[in-house]
Amino acid sequence: MVLRIIGKDLKRKKTMNIILLLFVILSAMFTASSVNNIVAIEGGLDRYFEEAGMADYYILSHKSNSKDSVEELLQNSENAKSYRKDDVIYTTEDNFKRSGKKLMEYSNISMVQSLSNSNFNFFDQNNNAVKNVEPGKMYITGAIPNRSNLQVGDKFTLSIGEINREFEFAGVLKDALLGSEMMGNPRMLVSDEDFKKIASDDYVKQYNSGSIYYIETDNLSALQSQIADAENVYLMIDTDTVKLSYFMNTIVAMIILILSIGLIIVSFVVLRFTIGFTIAEEFREIGVMKAIGLKNNSIRLLYLAKYFFIALAGAVIGYFLSIPFGIMLIKSVSENMVLESRNSVMLGILCCIAVVAVILFFSWNCTGKIKKLSPIDAVRSGQTGERFHKKSILRLGKTRLKSTAFLAINDVFSKPKQFSIITAILTICTVFVMVLSVTVNTLGSEKMLKLLGITKSDVYFIDSKRITDVISGAKNVNETKQEISDILAENNMPASVYVEEWYNLSVTANDVKYKVTFVWCKDTKLTDYTYTKGVAPKYENEVALSEMLAEKMNVNIGDTLIINVDGEDKKIIVTALFQSIMQTGTVGRLCPAFEIPNQLMTGAVAYQINFDDNPDEKIISERVEKLKDIFDNKNIYDTRRFIHAITGVTDTIKSVRDLVLPISLIVIILIAILMERSFISKEKSEIALMKAIGLKNGSIMAQHTGRFLISVILAQAIAAGLCVPLLMLLIDPIFSTMGATAGIEYQFNVLEQFVVYPFIITATVVISTFLTAIHIRKIQASDTANIE
Amino acid sequence: MNTVLEVRDLCKTYIVNKRQNNVLRNVNFSVNEGEMIGVMGPSGSGKSTLLYTVSGMDKMTAGEVFFCGKNMSALHENELARMRLEDMGFIFQQMYMMKNLSVLDNIILPAVKSSKKKVSNRIIEQRGRELMKRLGIAEIAGNDINEVSGGQLQRACICRSMINDPKIIFADEPTGSLNRTSSEEVMKELAKLNANGTTIMIVTHDVKVAAKCTRVLFIVDGNIKGEYNIDSEKNMRDRERCLNNWLMEMGW
Repeated sequence: MVLRIIGKDLKRKKTMNIILLLFVILSAMFTASSVNNIVAIEGGLDRYFEEAGMADYYILSHKSNSKDSVEELLQNSENAKSYRKDDVIYTTEDNFKRSGKKLMEYSNISMVQSLSNSNFNFFDQNNNAVKNVEPGKMYITGAIPNRSNLQVGDKFTLSIGEINREFEFAGVLKDALLGSEMMGNPRMLVSDEDFKKIASDDYVKQYNSGSIYYIETDNLSALQSQIADAENVYLMIDTDTVKLSYFMNTIVAMIILILSIGLIIVSFVVLRFTIGFTIAEEFREIGVMKAIGLKNNSIRLLYLAKYFFIALAGAVIGYFLSIPFGIMLIKSVSENMVLESRNSVMLGILCCIAVVAVILFFSWNCTGKIKKLSPIDAVRSGQTGERFHKKSILRLGKTRLKSTAFLAINDVFSKPKQFSIITAILTICTVFVMVLSVTVNTLGSEKMLKLLGITKSDVYFIDSKRITDVISGAKNVNETKQEISDILAENNMPASVYVEEWYNLSVTANDVKYKVTFVWCKDTKLTDYTYTKGVAPKYENEVALSEMLAEKMNVNIGDTLIINVDGEDKKIIVTALFQSIMQTGTVGRLCPAFEIPNQLMTGAVAYQINFDDNPDEKIISERVEKLKDIFDNKNIYDTRRFIHAITGVTDTIKSVRDLVLPISLIVIILIAILMERSFISKEKSEIALMKAIGLKNGSIMAQHTGRFLISVILAQAIAAGLCVPLLMLLIDPIFSTMGATAGIEYQFNVLEQFVVYPFIITATVVISTFLTAIHIRKIQASDTANIE
Repeated sequence: MNTVLEVRDLCKTYIVNKRQNNVLRNVNFSVNEGEMIGVMGPSGSGKSTLLYTVSGMDKMTAGEVFFCGKNMSALHENELARMRLEDMGFIFQQMYMMKNLSVLDNIILPAVKSSKKKVSNRIIEQRGRELMKRLGIAEIAGNDINEVSGGQLQRACICRSMINDPKIIFADEPTGSLNRTSSEEVMKELAKLNANGTTIMIVTHDVKVAAKCTRVLFIVDGNIKGEYNIDSEKNMRDRERCLNNWLMEMGW
């Protein structure tokens, strides 16, 4: 009997049951894929590092006269539990050519090594471990191949020393140690045969050979102290710092996490609403059942059985749809790392069981009212006739509004619960898009300069050749600056040129030795930098530290450090703290008055150019293009493009935008369509009545669309108000882990965040609702005769 | 006397499960201005379908319906809607009204939507209140529709049907859901309306209701089987008796 009643019900109320089924499918799909992704993201980086064979500490060293001081230190260190070593050949972008032109544009040192010689695991774009590299082929890590539009199968030449060898690009490689955007040191994998051939060249042996050490230790700080004096070291880095270098990926992963949680919330809110809505529709029948003597629990079980069947069907379909959806969500995060949507069958099934359980709970909860209603109250659709509050709030006779607008507004105010749920869902979607848009804008804005610890200039010239010359001692930094300045003057663009130089120096704090990167520039003003605490270093014995470095070294303003410069210990006092995401948040800034030999310089980001004639942005852009030709170097940027170039934010912006806006819009479209369709189904008799008394289809459709328009406008207003608090709540902690510990000044683009996106969302809601409302045409005025 | 409604060879066919169901078959009749015409017949004979088809609420399968000389079958859906809004009034058995509007707002809604008279909403509201007062339901103007009795609600529906001064009011079993007292009150109001010149076409099962009409059509299996003119000179009891006799002759 129960099955027969359910069967009839499923057929008779086909539309509402299909709508409910679709919502269940959405909920199961969102929940299963989102929970899978949350599990994948949560601890995903750790799993990736484990699979890659990461250690505790890493050193990239250069052999000097075929000797490696690092290995000697490691062999004698009781703090190095064990270590693995990969032999590498250091290269620069100038070593790779295609048709006589540079193959790729990158500013840092790259390294070539063989897979068989490596003690590290690499992965291809499909997250499979790379097991073999054929002779003549080369894999390259990081986003640089993609940015340089390098396609699999492209041929190019590696020229180094006496070697001129042709290679074929075999694909992008995922490298846990050096593959993040911020690390920026591409690693190339070649076959053992090719590597031996290149390494056998005398020039390479003399100048380009080196090693990467993967060191296991139980006492990192002690190890760092012991090897702080190692020579010819390009990079010393611990795993936590490497992790921080994935901050762009982390931001995207966090966004996916928030998106996933948002989707789960939206789907359950919609589900609760729809179940409540459909059960309210059943009250008349419930009343009849009560009237003929059925017990409350029997009636509730009948509905529970119906919803169980729908939930089960929806959960099964939703589970299968969750697999491709989850993969799509996670794909954008995993470009530089192995972060797979786990698609654990058990987890997916558990999620779907949870969805079914939640639906049964909602159904049980929603049918709870049955107990309280007398049969006749139920027949009256749950109204006891004893309400004292008015359903209608506005008065048609007293309004100046058009009747369609009045009816729409009156509906919204008369059914506050129904429309507040729609408003809440639209608010979640809108605020989500707004928050992400502001985040993305901030990441690409000039405000990031402060976080990078770089001063603003007209032009940034990443000249790896000149910087390498300075590091190798072939040139003095002042000479290179003068060269650039002279070329600019010759080309009628007189300008001042400066460079923020990096020095890796040994520092002792609280009796512990550290290797710290210090920025030093004698051409900038102290007021050009922002400090979160204290005052800018003014005298030779003063220094500013990034907040993360100060925390790591357990020092504060007023504390004294011992800094070793060229064998001489100097005492310096910490006078200020600042935020920085450069060097993954651990960096110091020396006072311009500090004396430091130029030959100790270990790196620099870029030569910074300030034109004498203070040109506007348009002229700067034109000059940037000219300078690219003059210097035959594409790594010349204005401020905005410079930030994009060094943080890789452009790719992040693209992936985030490609992901979030379409998903939000799809959710909005689905919700608008399904909600409106369920309203039409519920209000069929009213629509028929309106038609019978002479209202046109267009007018009724406009009324229905108007109700959603009001909801979406309200949602936009609420979302605009929530935007800043949510930024502080959700995004501040993400930046904080990257070094922006004192919060970040967000870059708002009022047009984009408060006009364009709200307009797109509003238009999507209005168009979806209006197109769904066309179904109103199918309801005839004569259906009034069939009103129940 | 002008003809308000003229129906020629009207057919209405429903196709249910590939089976043709001829609900109305070549129906011919006309309604003159000021008439109150009753439509009677057994259940399923096509009474309500006739009412909805001639009022433009439902599409006819064949034939022609002229309303005030206009061929309704040639009109666009929007023109039919406008005709229903401005020139016709409707009263349904279920006293259906918009749930989210007060009783008064339900009554004045057609007038607010209408472009027939360019008057302010305030004046429309005033007219709505006057109508409610006339029908004795002024006190429920601000109430929600579930706060009033069935009789009051049906009188409110009559007010709604009258708000635009229609040329004809169609009533589908207006007393079908009411008790005897309410039923009599509603019919009294309709009779008053008719006495003031409003044409009314009313579908009913109730002889008492039909006896208040000027003419009664008897419909069986989609055909008008007979037509009975009620003698207005007779008292109500005689009218009912004569009509009853006629109906029995028709096979009622």
